[in-house]
Amino acid sequence: MSGDALLAVTGLTAGYGPVEVLHGLDFTVGEGEIVVILGANGAGKTTTMRAVSGMIPRHGTVEFGGVDISGAKPDAIVRAGVSQVPQGRGTFTDLTVEDNLECGGYTVKGSIAEDLERWYGVFPRLAERRDQKAGSLSGGEQQMLAVARAMMSRPKLLLCDEPSLGLAPLITKELFKVLGNLRDEHGMSLLIVEQNAGMSLALADRAYVLETGSIVATGTGDELLADDTIKEAYLGVVN
Amino acid sequence: MSLFIERLVNGLADGSIYALLALALVVVFRSTGQLNFAQGEIGTLGAFVVSTLTLSGLPVWLSILLAMFVGFVISAGVERVVVRPIEHRNPGAVIVALIGVFLAVNQLVAMFWGVDARGLPNVFPDQADDFVTILGAPVRIARLGVIGVLIVVLLLLWLMFNKTKIGLAMRAVANNQESSNLVGIRVGTILVVGWGLAGAIGVLAAALLAPSAGLTGTLMLGPFLLASVAAVLGGLDSPVGAVVGGLIIGLTEAFMVGYVDFLGADMLFPVMLVILLVVLLLRPSGLFGSERVERV
Repeated sequence: MSGDALLAVTGLTAGYGPVEVLHGLDFTVGEGEIVVILGANGAGKTTTMRAVSGMIPRHGTVEFGGVDISGAKPDAIVRAGVSQVPQGRGTFTDLTVEDNLECGGYTVKGSIAEDLERWYGVFPRLAERRDQKAGSLSGGEQQMLAVARAMMSRPKLLLCDEPSLGLAPLITKELFKVLGNLRDEHGMSLLIVEQNAGMSLALADRAYVLETGSIVATGTGDELLADDTIKEAYLGVVN
Repeated sequence: MSLFIERLVNGLADGSIYALLALALVVVFRSTGQLNFAQGEIGTLGAFVVSTLTLSGLPVWLSILLAMFVGFVISAGVERVVVRPIEHRNPGAVIVALIGVFLAVNQLVAMFWGVDARGLPNVFPDQADDFVTILGAPVRIARLGVIGVLIVVLLLLWLMFNKTKIGLAMRAVANNQESSNLVGIRVGTILVVGWGLAGAIGVLAAALLAPSAGLTGTLMLGPFLLASVAAVLGGLDSPVGAVVGGLIIGLTEAFMVGYVDFLGADMLFPVMLVILLVVLLLRPSGLFGSERVERV
């Protein structure tokens, strides 16, 4: 896989100040692939996302489309085609829905009118609320807005930091359907970090299990779903 | 009636200067969460630059524009060189550093331009007969000009914030720096531009005030305090609030001194603080501020 991987991460370490949170991660995301990194609270999921998108200092190699982006700043990484849906959605709550989407297209040179219409088409609820402040939307709508905003930069790879967080099961289901469609209909590759094992593994082509900053297992989504230790740790199934 | 109109225009004109300065404070506070103590002094320095340039023969309007550019550069430099490095290490220390910048600029002005008061030519016609008559009241053109400047600045700011990409980025950064970073906005650049803009507006306010107030090293001390009150009164994160707050203070000043015999000009600060206290008791985030400010 790693030969023609879209994103290839090797020996990634990162942390905050003197505290190392990630102890050398290796993972890849192929073209058109949905990869899930499964982990409990404190496993290092958000740190992984922040390290890949250049938000915190990191060591190791991050290659995107064959180009080394290990030392790149966040805006350069967005321009290269990696866009992130941050944990807790991170919408601009004081700005309107449309302003949020325009911010998403900040790095795009030229007109973004067509992108707006395209994502309003995919998310009709956002079109209805385009003039409302993002802070007035429901949690599910804000998550959709965060996804649409990330897509406005015309990325090749979408990073999703625990998208199911704080959402009702039905809304989460709808959201994961949307994420699946991004690959199937829009040719996207996705890297999702999650602790909702059931839904994310069902969606994933491949998955990694992250525990206290190290990858401890890997396999296809179905393989991990069938694994007893995974079932016990993440699905609450006791044998 | 005629006296009322005169006082109304005077109040609005002084209020416009407070409003401009308060606007500058709000632009910085929204993006950085800091009250820029050096705001007034950078304005004073700019007014002295205007003085030097006009003495060298440049037209007043051009001198003001050039001085605004100087104010932009100095204020942007304060963000980049003083505020940002300290903020990373100790956010609480920034306020002390800004007081330090206040003192440094104040001393710099005294060093370069001395401590003697000097006049500054008005950009608007300001001779004895330069007035128009409104409803029977003689109103000085220079006073109307100041109000006009506020309106033009507001219009330009509105256009910038709502119709340009950099304005959108400034609103985004004011709302959520982390997300701004993630959509590819260079947050540092936006902060520098915001501070610079505030510096330029501060210089404009000082250059409009100096012709009537006299140009000294302490030109902006009182106005800065009043503008701070105006900004808090209106809501520290609300540009509209800053303008309304500034105008309220200007009008209060004009009418209080004019109509309430036992309250002289010296009583303006105590009266304003009482008004501020009452407003904050009823609306802790100010007249137009969003509640978000309380959590800061």
